[in-house]
Amino acid sequence: MHIHAYEKLWLAASILLILLLIGSVTYGAVGPGVAMVSDSEPPIDAQALDEDDRFSEPRVEQVGDNEYVAYVVAYQFGFEPSPIVVPENSTVTFYVTSRDVIHGFEVAGTNANTMVVPGEVSKITVKTDDRQEYGLICNEYCGAGHHVMEGKVNVVSQAEFDERNSGGDDA
Amino acid sequence: MGQNQAAHASSDDVSGEEEFDPIGTLTLIAIYFVILLLAWVYIYYIEFLGRDLVVVG
Repeated sequence: MHIHAYEKLWLAASILLILLLIGSVTYGAVGPGVAMVSDSEPPIDAQALDEDDRFSEPRVEQVGDNEYVAYVVAYQFGFEPSPIVVPENSTVTFYVTSRDVIHGFEVAGTNANTMVVPGEVSKITVKTDDRQEYGLICNEYCGAGHHVMEGKVNVVSQAEFDERNSGGDDA
Repeated sequence: MGQNQAAHASSDDVSGEEEFDPIGTLTLIAIYFVILLLAWVYIYYIEFLGRDLVVVG
């Protein structure tokens, strides 16, 4: 079978393109460590979040050297805690659940974005950079007040984070 | 016209196969290809990986 030289050329180019696409996604996973939202969390009772160890008191906790967890509850129409305060240059794992309907958890302008389903816990781990205030929005229509459902994720300096937390313990 | 050219080439002689020379199509595809490459590099490496709070787990 004769294949025209140009046809060989653009066949080769399209194979190259496919390899490039697969290659860059592989690079993203191996290099910067881009991962998917985990589905490994067991389901919980959305009606009984107030009896849950993690979600009865939504909070940010230090769990290791420069590692933090944030337990977040989304509800009609807001997020708890508000604001979510985490230290800079750290690894933060968000556990997010809903106590009523399906919500979204999107840290505006970033890759931290997940669906929040009642009875399920969405777990995403992110690396924070420098100090910054991010908006937090719900991106799943959740009712009449959906458009006002917002929160804040404040990335603060380590000193400020420690100060807030020790202040919280004293109070 | 392309068909005529191809038919002509094949009936004429075997060495005339490369007579059909769609250089314009090649150029267009090359331009599309470059746009696609640049768009992918921008979208994935700059816009996606360059954003804050990269999800790592």
